[in-house]
Amino acid sequence: MIRLGLMSFAHVHAEAYVQNIRGILDAQLVGAADDDPARGEHFAAKLGVQPFPTYQDLLAQHLDGVIVCSENTRHRAHVEMAARAGVSVLCEKPLATTLPDARAMIEASARAGVTLMVAFPMRFSAPVLQARQAVEEGIVGKIGCCIGTNQGQNPRQQREWFVKKQLAGGGAVMDHTVHLVDILRWYLRTEVAEVYAQTTELLPDGNGEVETGGLILLTLANGLFASIDCSWSRPASYPTWGGLTLELIGERGVLRVDAFRQNLIIYPGRSPEIQWQPWGSDANQAMMAEFVSAIREHRGPAVTGTDGYRALEVITAAYESARTGQPVRLPVAGQHTERA
Amino acid sequence: MRVAIIGTGFMGKVHAEAWTQTDARLAAFVGKRGAEGETLAQAYGVRFATTLEAVAGDIDVVDICTPTHLHLEFCLRAAAEAKHVICEKPLALTVAEGQRMIQACREAGVRLLVAHVLRFFPEYRLAREIAARGDIGEPAVLRLSRCTFRPRKADNWYVDPARSGGMILDLMVHDFDYARWVAGDVIRVFAKATQTSAPPGRIDHALAILTHRRGAISHLEGSWAYPPSIFLTRLEIAGAAGLIEYTSPATAAIEMHLRSESGASQDVPLPTSPLQESPYTTQLRAFYQALVDGTEPPVRAEDGAAAVQIACAAIESVRRGTPVEIDHEGELR
Repeated sequence: MIRLGLMSFAHVHAEAYVQNIRGILDAQLVGAADDDPARGEHFAAKLGVQPFPTYQDLLAQHLDGVIVCSENTRHRAHVEMAARAGVSVLCEKPLATTLPDARAMIEASARAGVTLMVAFPMRFSAPVLQARQAVEEGIVGKIGCCIGTNQGQNPRQQREWFVKKQLAGGGAVMDHTVHLVDILRWYLRTEVAEVYAQTTELLPDGNGEVETGGLILLTLANGLFASIDCSWSRPASYPTWGGLTLELIGERGVLRVDAFRQNLIIYPGRSPEIQWQPWGSDANQAMMAEFVSAIREHRGPAVTGTDGYRALEVITAAYESARTGQPVRLPVAGQHTERA
Repeated sequence: MRVAIIGTGFMGKVHAEAWTQTDARLAAFVGKRGAEGETLAQAYGVRFATTLEAVAGDIDVVDICTPTHLHLEFCLRAAAEAKHVICEKPLALTVAEGQRMIQACREAGVRLLVAHVLRFFPEYRLAREIAARGDIGEPAVLRLSRCTFRPRKADNWYVDPARSGGMILDLMVHDFDYARWVAGDVIRVFAKATQTSAPPGRIDHALAILTHRRGAISHLEGSWAYPPSIFLTRLEIAGAAGLIEYTSPATAAIEMHLRSESGASQDVPLPTSPLQESPYTTQLRAFYQALVDGTEPPVRAEDGAAAVQIACAAIESVRRGTPVEIDHEGELR
């Protein structure tokens, strides 16, 4: 039995991960801890999870792995804590908010000999996987350009810290860029060479601290270019939280994948709110299964700390580009190792 | 008022059909001999001529439907004959050419109306109206896509950048104008383009990020990389207090799936939706009304020049690999 713990309920995904762990036969959710005692008690009671007063108490339970769901800027402290206890980590994205933090987390995990996996569930999305297969088979031919969207509602509606710069490290760019960067690197087997970004605070509820919208245009090392829309542009009335799409323009045609299109449309009789109810496969479930398998099989996970680092490089470059209005060059693939 | 259509190709025919639905009188076609002009003139029961000057005595309005590189010449000649000018989009190949056209018409005391027909498509018009009256708050993030196949013609001027300006100017100018109409003046443009299926050196698919003076940002996509007869358009305006979404497949009022391979396929892409009146007719009716009443037209010549300017900035950005700034005087930097 793989013994797992949950460090913090700060991220909105924590609740789903609890259910995902329970969906794995040879995994057991031993308990959870939270540095916000009220939040910890609330969610532990709501989800029926054993609460522990401190992270150290939780990590003392002979765990094999923890899922770190704390606020973005606290990831480093929690990952290092787990590594010191010899416990493997599945860390919520983004891996960190600064490159030195991300590097330190990768190094701490390597020193301790534990697994560090980053929560990029889109690697496990059935539509995204199938589209990658089509790309691998060359069905659309050589790709020239990609158009990605990862738009959503402002997560502040669920957790206030997402718009606190000190805790989130940024707004929509920090929250919604990494999934598509990771998919592009994974699909196209290349690295990002240049980043251009423009951001806006015109979309509501940025708290005057963070950007609420962003458009990013990447140039990849192989000359391809790709755009990412990371905006919190879905209002509260939107029938779902948001979505992720990617279009690939190839010399033999165009492929569009929508990771969250498999929905029923529900028009409730009494309430005016239209809802989309998803019926597609749960990518989070498959991601959690991979984390547990990697621990059980003593192997590296499908998504590594380095993948998280590369995605964060693009985010930090995007902020610099938005500030200067100029594209920002990244060190090309191969030169990463000295920096990382 | 009497109208002469210059250019007897694809757009000339579209305009001719639209003019018959208005109060204007179509009086002549002007074009090259042997380019269907005689047949068209016969079908509409009007004159055919090979020069504008030959029909000048019979007309009040010149409707320029020629390839883009000829817009300047015909506009100057129409102004010299003191005729009002309606000009297909894009206004011209360059901002300087566009400004010469504006200047010539101003000096001749005639009007210059640019056929940015997208402003007369009901879905685009309604979305802009909703945004303009503040229903979704200040526009913040726009997404505009126009994806279709490469035009196919015997003498294919569309794919010749010297004559059309290429896909970015010919196709994306629709959305450059629309983005500016919705979110205001553009101060910075960054664009990337690729060529995927065409002869070398031709642009097939392009992305552009526009930064508007009021703070909005726009993502524009233009494509000739889709197979015939796809014409996919998408529109999204996310505002400070709401969101407008539109896609052409989601609003296709008629879907047909034919077992046989046959069926008419266009050579030049044109988006269509079943409507009581074609947007081309709505446009020419509005233009005609503005000419007759002497009122401010729904699209000013300066709007046409501004759209060309954004397109030229995008083309320049692709060439340089850096963003291009548009300053207060409208110069590219």
